[in-house]
Amino acid sequence: MSKVYNLEAGEKLTLTLLYVPGRPWDERDIEVNLNGPGAELDLAGLYLCPDGESLDIRVVVRHNSGACLSRQMFKGIVGGKSRASFDGLIYVAQDSQKTKAYQESHSILLSSEARAESRPQLEIYADDVECSHGATTGYLNPDEQFYMRSRGIPEQEAKRLQMISFLAPVTDRLDGSTRAEVLDILSRM
Amino acid sequence: MENDILLQIKDLHAGIEGKEILKGVNLTIRRGEIHAVMGPNGAGKSTLSAVLAGKPEYTVTSGSIEFAGRDLLTMTPEERSWAGIFLSFQYPVEIPGVTITNFMKTAVNARRKAAGQEELSAGDFLKLMKEKMAFVQMKSEFSKREVNVGFSGGEKKRNEIFQMAMIDPLFGILDETDSGLDVDALKIVAGGVNSLKGPRKSFMIITHYQKLLEYIVPDVVHVLKDGRIVTTGGRELADRIWQQGFEGIDE
Repeated sequence: MSKVYNLEAGEKLTLTLLYVPGRPWDERDIEVNLNGPGAELDLAGLYLCPDGESLDIRVVVRHNSGACLSRQMFKGIVGGKSRASFDGLIYVAQDSQKTKAYQESHSILLSSEARAESRPQLEIYADDVECSHGATTGYLNPDEQFYMRSRGIPEQEAKRLQMISFLAPVTDRLDGSTRAEVLDILSRM
Repeated sequence: MENDILLQIKDLHAGIEGKEILKGVNLTIRRGEIHAVMGPNGAGKSTLSAVLAGKPEYTVTSGSIEFAGRDLLTMTPEERSWAGIFLSFQYPVEIPGVTITNFMKTAVNARRKAAGQEELSAGDFLKLMKEKMAFVQMKSEFSKREVNVGFSGGEKKRNEIFQMAMIDPLFGILDETDSGLDVDALKIVAGGVNSLKGPRKSFMIITHYQKLLEYIVPDVVHVLKDGRIVTTGGRELADRIWQQGFEGIDE
């Protein structure tokens, strides 16, 4: 069952979604409709799947009106035998000129058995639009780790620093106690 | 005196991805000495520094390295750092999202923890940072920048020397820290080494050129060629290489 948000002219929605152990993952299927000029969506998501989790995130953003802005930033870390997928559709209707829509989806795998997929999709029927999407999946950079270790930072701590900096664009949006909760889960990954 | 020896490398064979690069290196460095290792491209100079720092991609196939009386080859990179080894990277690594302050604070405190000491207070840490930044002529904004991200070549090398000053190692390895530096930056690097040296501490300066050695005067100069040290001499050897190149220096 998807959660639907409708934004009328001039309405702004800022949403930060967390998919971490210990919290219900109830907003995995989201639809946002931008129905009037000036509507803005600022959506960020963070997922941590330490081991054995299976997560599918689906986001549909519909630019039903022109002159709307949507930004999406999803970041996730997948370890052990977990798997995660992100499906993101940006739909721009025929007369939705001056649309701006951006989507980023990045994930890091901590083990060779972990899986992560990003499936960005753009459906654009207007011609005067600015849309972009970026998706990456990779491992923690071993050269960074060696550099940190050569300065005396233990391997686990080096990895933790890498993960924290990777997630920073999303964790910067969280309040102190929620950020602490995320960092605590990270330190056990 | 045996216990004056800081580093002893015996018949070291090592390489990467199945390719042997070091083919029997023997090298002894005593406390208080500065050694220069020179040699043409591909001689194995950077492999030697990577093996000393414990870069995981490199494999040691035979031989031994003893550092301050311990078997270095059984130690992780961080343990080697705690024991006093510092490598100034030829190509310092960018770490996006991690500031110099955060990086150094993590490193300094991890080292203190390993030594059984308490963490440095925020005030003491900032004082140390300020002092060492002035030492390499870095502006105060430097501490807020992400590690090596967007740094010029000269800034990256000064950042290496800054980190070395923060850590104050027993054994500093400078892997072509001079390459691509102008004379002013070269003097900053040399000034760093000269003020950190002491009767118990040693340095290995890996370089192509003798220019840096005008500012850091080595006690011993080695020529590494095709994975072996082919000649060892005093500082005059560096001048000879400068005049005749590596071709004439075989034995």
